[in-house]
Amino acid sequence: MLKVYGLFLVSGLAVGSLYALAGIGLVILRRSTGFLNFAYGALAAAAAMVAWQVADWGAWPPLSWFAALVAGVVLSVAYGRLVAPALAWREPAVKAVATLGYMLILLGVMGLIWDDELRKLSLPTDKIAVTLLGVRVTVTRLIALGVAVAAVIAMILYLDRSRMGLNMRALADDRDHAALLGIPIIKVETLAWGISGALAGGTGLLFGSLVRLEPTVITFMVIPATAAAIVGRLTSLPMTLLGGLFIGVIEAMLTLYKPLAPLRAMTPFVIAGLMILWMQRGTSLTFASKD
Amino acid sequence: MDPLQKTSTWIGVALLALTVLILPMVLGALWIKVLTSAAIFALAASGVALVYAQLGLINLAQIALIGVGGWIALRLNYATDLPVTLLVIIAGGLTGVIGALFALPALRMRGLYLALVTLMVAALAQIFFNAFQFPNGGEGFWGVAQKSADAVRRPGFAQSDTAYFRYVMIALGVAFMLIGLHKSSAPGRAWAMIRQSEANAMAAGINVTFFKLWAFALSGFLAGTSGALLAGALGQLDARSFLAGEGILLFALAVVGGVFSWLGAIVAGLLYKLLPAIFNDLGLSADIAMIIFGAALMHAIMTAPEGIAGQIMGAFKKGGSDD
Amino acid sequence: MKTSLILATAATLGLSLMGEDAKADGHAPVCGLNTGQAATGEPIKVGGINGNAPPGDFSGGTDGAAAYFDCVNANGGINGRPIDYLVENDQWNPELAGQVATKLVKDEGVVALVGNGSVVEMAVNAPLYAAEDVMVMASGCAISECYESSHIVSTNQGPLPSGIGALKFAIEELGATNAACIGFNIPNNGGWACDWMNEYMSSKGLQGTSILMDPTAVDLNSVYLQALAEGVDTILLMLPAGPAIGLLKVAEEQGGREMFKWVSPTPLYEPGVGEVLGDYWSDHLYINIELNTFDSDGADNQNWVKVMDTYGKDDDRRDTFSQSGYISAKFFVDALLDLDADRIDRPSVTKAIQNIVGVESDLLCDPYYVGVADRHMPNHSGRMVVFKDGGFELMRDCYDIDTNYLEPILAQETALGLD
Repeated sequence: MLKVYGLFLVSGLAVGSLYALAGIGLVILRRSTGFLNFAYGALAAAAAMVAWQVADWGAWPPLSWFAALVAGVVLSVAYGRLVAPALAWREPAVKAVATLGYMLILLGVMGLIWDDELRKLSLPTDKIAVTLLGVRVTVTRLIALGVAVAAVIAMILYLDRSRMGLNMRALADDRDHAALLGIPIIKVETLAWGISGALAGGTGLLFGSLVRLEPTVITFMVIPATAAAIVGRLTSLPMTLLGGLFIGVIEAMLTLYKPLAPLRAMTPFVIAGLMILWMQRGTSLTFASKD
Repeated sequence: MDPLQKTSTWIGVALLALTVLILPMVLGALWIKVLTSAAIFALAASGVALVYAQLGLINLAQIALIGVGGWIALRLNYATDLPVTLLVIIAGGLTGVIGALFALPALRMRGLYLALVTLMVAALAQIFFNAFQFPNGGEGFWGVAQKSADAVRRPGFAQSDTAYFRYVMIALGVAFMLIGLHKSSAPGRAWAMIRQSEANAMAAGINVTFFKLWAFALSGFLAGTSGALLAGALGQLDARSFLAGEGILLFALAVVGGVFSWLGAIVAGLLYKLLPAIFNDLGLSADIAMIIFGAALMHAIMTAPEGIAGQIMGAFKKGGSDD
Repeated sequence: MKTSLILATAATLGLSLMGEDAKADGHAPVCGLNTGQAATGEPIKVGGINGNAPPGDFSGGTDGAAAYFDCVNANGGINGRPIDYLVENDQWNPELAGQVATKLVKDEGVVALVGNGSVVEMAVNAPLYAAEDVMVMASGCAISECYESSHIVSTNQGPLPSGIGALKFAIEELGATNAACIGFNIPNNGGWACDWMNEYMSSKGLQGTSILMDPTAVDLNSVYLQALAEGVDTILLMLPAGPAIGLLKVAEEQGGREMFKWVSPTPLYEPGVGEVLGDYWSDHLYINIELNTFDSDGADNQNWVKVMDTYGKDDDRRDTFSQSGYISAKFFVDALLDLDADRIDRPSVTKAIQNIVGVESDLLCDPYYVGVADRHMPNHSGRMVVFKDGGFELMRDCYDIDTNYLEPILAQETALGLD
């Protein structure tokens, strides 16, 4: 029986690292620009489809992966430069709703370009695996976890140590003050959109390979990823990472408990809901907080 | 009632009479079905719009409540012999209660976090409907048998698609009147004050909790009613109609249509159901509709907060003042 | 069964006929009256509904039917009248399915529907078809309503017989004793088919268990591990091709090829599958096919290939559904050719379709029939292939299944004198 738990633990960590990875991309952008980007999943999906397309044209595989990252960056920065500035001083909820519009546009465009057929995105690392607690784990899954951890560490170091990181933090704390201080807002924000776009591109590649290469499936992965980000209160990168992993493990473990097995996909949303309630504890029933 | 509101009410009544009496005579069976769906979702969109316009709250989970209303209606349809209209009202009422219950812990939130909570609820409901499915005439509480579905009743006087369309249109008219009554009486005034400042509203002796819950309950009632009507229109419900993504789309279109008047809800319903049907009929891809929706949402958010209905009404106002 | 013997004779007969045809007339397909003259009379409106959206493309049936109708129209039509074939896509959306059917049946007034393939359409529209007394000769069915309605008859088997057929093979040839049926948690699809698969296993004194998953589930790994935890020895993939391939990928990751016997109903029998699955599954994945193999040299199959080559479009699917759509359309045309061309309307066509009894084709194992009944399942014996070197190899020719589900069907066949 212990072996079975081990199986599900490892499997859950593998899925959880995907939630975490996407959640981290959301939090990085949210922290530095105030945008909770619901189009994040659509960016990832577009990047994955671009990678498939480039590979389908017969390009050298690493070129197709690079194309995915470029697609993520371009699509993300395009929104960041063209649309986001017009909404810079609006409430966070309005900013988030606007990204829903971008999500719908990207979904529509992907549907027009790539009709529905069997596609596969395989990475060379899919074929190499190590065995952990009786579960074979492909290197691609290890990369997903590795990228998530690395992104957290790198971003923490970057925000702490570098001038640009300091600017980002200043911007996130108070946009008006940051502007007064002469911080190059546009430059800093563009960088944030770019970093988050690149992460979306990478996430899309991994999702396309590990989950399913289907635009709608990858696009709506943003919902469980948001759940992971909520566990990190939309601000904490380490908490988002842990939240994603925790959700993945619980979800996998529930498979073992038959009555709840069909409902296990609810795990991210239940955990996020409980987290929000816990964050609201102590505030009075009636008065709503600002956001 | 100010004159503009009065004109808009009369326009509404005239429009209702026109659609109920004339449209079924000139339109083919396909478009009757499409417009029935559009009217049903206009009903649900009016609930989303109400909560957003009156309290500034974003609800992405309306689709879940439509599903709940549909579930209750189907369950009662198979379990009882109640008249269909009563069944629709019961489904609406129970969904309203459920909507208010869900809103209870969410009352402390607004803005982004409330939107996120509703998104989580929509995602939960999607999985819930998938796991338990909609009653199809089977045994037990869930009422699901692994077989083909049994028939869903329609009111005796609304058996045909055309008659059912008239029935839905009248339900929509009644719902708009209900919303209008709320807006022009105590709840409307309370909501306006709460929107301004919850503390001031409370100081003025308004029971803030009650009136916020009441808004959610009313919105839930509208969603539940529309779910029950949908069950009758389609003859069955399918979990795939109640995905979280549809909840996002419904909110987006309510904003695009315009949240401040009944006309906005109608525009939302038409965009949601009629536009894709027209595209489909012309052989155009539904993906184009999606792109239009996305662009329209961004446009509405950035520059047209009153939506398409606001622009139409604005044109009327101008015309009126020129006289 | 006796039928397979008859069929073998029929197939040989068909083969020899085909041989003569080919000599006489190169590569041109044979359709309807085969006059070579385009039909110019008043068109006969025929409808078709497919479901083409994620997670699956069920448009093969209408593609196959459309190509055959084009060919018929170019060859004398229905005694001079061309078929105006109106195809709609329900996009897996129940609401849209109801709308397009209403359009075809009420607004366009089609005399019948042919080639339908969908996972939602039949459930929504079965009452409409019955109320309007219009027959549907479907080709790509996957849900119970398709087989349990008075006005729908499908040429394909659907997951129930095909899945049980795959299991029967697994029991007899692979030694399966405990099988997991992995399907979608949709009552009239996965739930329905997996329930009957469990019933089948217990009727054989063996064990079966259903693992029903959310169609939007992301974490296929857990589904696989669930099968592992159940301790089954056989996995039946009661899924559309996309998700089934997703699950096979997870299993490949886990080195699951040897852990279980892998069997599947027809969806995985598709030309594109080889490329997507790769070598790992070669010789380890057994698939039940509902019609004949794509490369079989029976007359109808060869004619299907020619019809698709000549009249099909480049992006038409050439899968089992396409074969099924082609043969449904052929049976339909043959039935209409017996009618007085001036008296073709919905009542006469409905009657003509209901009068189809015992027509044969090398694409099907058993004779096809419609009759007047509250359920229809003319096709319930199939073949078994194994996935091998990116292609498929026939393992077992026509064999019937023995599930209690078929009792009313077999009674009908006896009544129609088909046994």
